[in-house]
Amino acid sequence: MSKKPVKGEYIETDTGNKVSRRSQIIGTTNIILGGKTVIQAEVIIRGDLLRTYPASNPSDKQGNTVAVAIGRYCFFSRGCELRPPGKLYKGQFSHYPLKIADHVFVGPSSIIEAALIGSHVNIGANVVVGKFAIIKDYVRILDGSVVPPNMVIPSFSVVAGRPARVVGEIAEGELDGMDLREVYRGVGNA
Amino acid sequence: MTSFTPYTYFLCPCTDTSTSTRNLGDSPSAESEENSDDERTFDPRAARSNYSLYPLEHLLYCEDCHQIRCPRCVLDEIVTWYCPNCLFEVPSSTVKSEGNRCTRSCFQCPICVAPLSVSSLEAPPEGLGAELASGQNGPFVLNCAYCMWSSKEIEIQFDKPNGIFAQLAKIKNGGEPIITAKDRRKDREERGKRHFSGSSAAEEYQESEAPITLDPNERLDPESQFSNLKAFYQTQMAESSPVSALGFTGDYGYGSPGALSRIMGLYTGGSFADKKSKSKSGTMREARDALEGLQIDPLSSSEAITKLSTEGWESTASCAQRHEQTTHTPFISDLRPIAYLLRTKRSKRCKTCRHILSKPESKVQTTRFRIRLVALNYIPSIIIKPLQPTLLTASTLLTPLKPVQFLLTFKNPLFDAVKVTLATPAKTPGRFPTKVTVLCPQFEVGANTDVWDEALRDNNTKSSLSGEKRRTKAEASEGQHQAEAGKVWERGRNWVSVVVEVVPPSLRIDGSEWLKSEEMKRDGEEVRDGEDVVEIPVFVRVEWEGEAGGEESGLGGGGKDKEVREKRELAYWCVLGLGKVALD
Repeated sequence: MSKKPVKGEYIETDTGNKVSRRSQIIGTTNIILGGKTVIQAEVIIRGDLLRTYPASNPSDKQGNTVAVAIGRYCFFSRGCELRPPGKLYKGQFSHYPLKIADHVFVGPSSIIEAALIGSHVNIGANVVVGKFAIIKDYVRILDGSVVPPNMVIPSFSVVAGRPARVVGEIAEGELDGMDLREVYRGVGNA
Repeated sequence: MTSFTPYTYFLCPCTDTSTSTRNLGDSPSAESEENSDDERTFDPRAARSNYSLYPLEHLLYCEDCHQIRCPRCVLDEIVTWYCPNCLFEVPSSTVKSEGNRCTRSCFQCPICVAPLSVSSLEAPPEGLGAELASGQNGPFVLNCAYCMWSSKEIEIQFDKPNGIFAQLAKIKNGGEPIITAKDRRKDREERGKRHFSGSSAAEEYQESEAPITLDPNERLDPESQFSNLKAFYQTQMAESSPVSALGFTGDYGYGSPGALSRIMGLYTGGSFADKKSKSKSGTMREARDALEGLQIDPLSSSEAITKLSTEGWESTASCAQRHEQTTHTPFISDLRPIAYLLRTKRSKRCKTCRHILSKPESKVQTTRFRIRLVALNYIPSIIIKPLQPTLLTASTLLTPLKPVQFLLTFKNPLFDAVKVTLATPAKTPGRFPTKVTVLCPQFEVGANTDVWDEALRDNNTKSSLSGEKRRTKAEASEGQHQAEAGKVWERGRNWVSVVVEVVPPSLRIDGSEWLKSEEMKRDGEEVRDGEDVVEIPVFVRVEWEGEAGGEESGLGGGGKDKEVREKRELAYWCVLGLGKVALD
C-alpha cells in the first residue's frame, strides 16, 4: 500500500490513514477507520474484543461485527491502547463497541475503555479512561487523569484528577484549536 | 518541571493600568521610563497582573466597542440548566423550586466523587433461560466503580432502580425512614387541633386512621429540624400578632410584628404603635422540644467522642468529603451520596455596551454557537520560537547573560492588512531585568485572504495581482538568513516573523550593586517562585483600514461606518514567556 518502495514508518491506506508498522492492531476486520487517522508506534487496538451478547433487535446484525469505530482525523500517540469495554450483563460477560468520532487526540501511554468519545476531544498523556465512560464533544482531559468508569463528561469540559472531575470549561476561542487537520498533515514517512 | 513551553498572554484593557500595580519599594528604572514616555511600563510580575492576563483563546472581542473583552469584563447569562451526568435539561422554574441539583438518579460517590451507578443486590439469574429473565429486581444499591463504595455501607437500599433522588430523600443513613415534611405537617396540625379544642381521645381515633405519634425527644435530621423550627416560629409570629389588627393573616410580611407595628404607625401615632408592639412581643416563646425544632447537642457530641475512641481516625470524613456535603457530617457513616450539581450553558455580554459576544445554542446536546466573537478572529496571534533550533534539543534553560534570539510570528486573522508596531522596555521590570531588543519593531502583516479565495479570485480575474506580489516578496525575503535590524525575518501570506534578541539576567544575588539596594535586603537572598522565567512585556499596536468590502465599490450612503473604509487602531499589552534561566 505504501507509496514508497522503501519501508517508511507509516503505511498509508487509500482513505489516508497513516498506520505505523510498529503498532499492534488485533482483529482488523472489526475495526473501522474513517480515514486520515494517524496511528503511531506501539499503539494497541483490540478489535478482537467483540460483542458476544446477542443484540436486542435482530436487524442490528451489522453492528455486531464492529468492535472499534474511529472517525476522521484522529491521532493516537505512541503506546496508547484502545480496548472495547466489557461488563457482566444478565449473567453473561460481553464486550461492547468503542466508538470514537472525529478529531480525537489520544496522548502517549493512555488507555481508553470508553463507550463513546465525541468529536474534538483531547486526551493527554498517561490517562486512563474507565469502562463505559461517555465523553461528549470538545472535552480536554489533562495528563495523568483517571476517568472513573461510567462517567459522563459533558461538552466544553476540562477534566483532571484521580478520579477525574470537571475542573474547568473550554473557552470559546479554544474550539478552533482542537481541529486536528494540521496535525495530520504534519505526520509523514519523512 | 524542567520543560518549558513558551507562552503569550494578553492584557485585557479592562484593568486600570493607571493605578500603580507595583510594590511600594519599586522605583521604575530610568530606561523603562525613557522607552514609554506617557505610559507606564506594564510589569507582568506585579501582584495584580496575574488576574488580567489571559491566553488569546480565552478572550472575546466586542465589535461595537472595538475592544478585547476578558472573562472579567463580560456578563454571563444562563441559557440552559442541565445535569452533567444524564444531560437532561432542567427548566429554570424547576431549578427555583427543587434546587440546583439533579433530581433524577445521578449521584456522586461521597468518598471519591466518582459517579455512582445503580445495581441490583440480587444475584443475576444463572443457568438455562437466564437471558430470558426479564430485568432485574431489587433491592438496589448505589455503587462506585472507582473506589468500590456502596450505599450498603450506610445501609441504604432502594426498591426501584429509578427515581433514586426521591427514594433517598425518604431514607436516613442506617436505613430508617425519614418522616417526610408532609407527615410532619399533618402531625403538627393534629396537635394544634388537640390543643385548640381539647378534644377527647375517642374523637382523635375517628379522625385519623393511622396517626403518627412523633417523639418529642427525637433526633432530627437537619432538613426536618429546619422545617420544624420554621413552622414553629411561623405559628409563634402569627399568634403574637393577632389577625384582627389589619385583617392580614399571611405567613410573611404583614404577619411579622415588626412590619405590623410599622403599618400601624402609619395610621396612628408612633407612640401608640410602640406601646402595642411592646406588649405583643412579650408573648413569643422559644422552641421547647424536637417537635418544635429544638435539638440539644451535648448528647450527640458525647456520642461522637465515644465513636472516635472506638473507631478512630479512619471513621472520620476528610475535609474534601465534608465540603461536598450539605450538612454537618463528621463521620464517614454520616456521608450521603451527592446529587450532581447542575451545570449551565451561558451566553456572554459586553459589560459596557451590552451586546452579546457569545451565545450557545440552547439545546444541551448541540455544541454550535449562534454568536461567537472570539479575539482570535480579530487580533494577531503571536507564536514564539527560538531562532536557533539547536536550542530546543540542547537544553530548555537559557544561559544567563548570553544573548538569545527568538522568532515572533504574528498571524493576522483579519481580511485587511494590518500595520503592527511593537514596543518593549529595554530592560524588563523586576529584580532580575532582562535586556530586550526587537530587531524590527514596525511591520505590515498581509490580509487573511483564504487560499481558496485567492484561487477563486484568480478564476474571476479580479485582483490576483496583490496576492501574487505578496508571494514573491515572501520568497525574496526568505533568502536572507541573518537577523538584520529593521528587517522582517520571514513573511507569508498573512504572517510575518520578526526577531527579538534577549539577554537573560544572572540570577546571582551576591552582586555588589544588589547588596546596596533596599529591596534586596527586604526580600531576602532567595530567588522567588517564578522569577527565573524570562517574561517580556510587549506593547502591541495594530492599525488597519477596516470593515469596508474591498472588492465592492462602497457607494451606499446608509451605513456609513460599514461601507466606507475606516482607520482602526487597537493597542494592548502582551506578555511573552520565553524561557527559564539556568541558575549559575
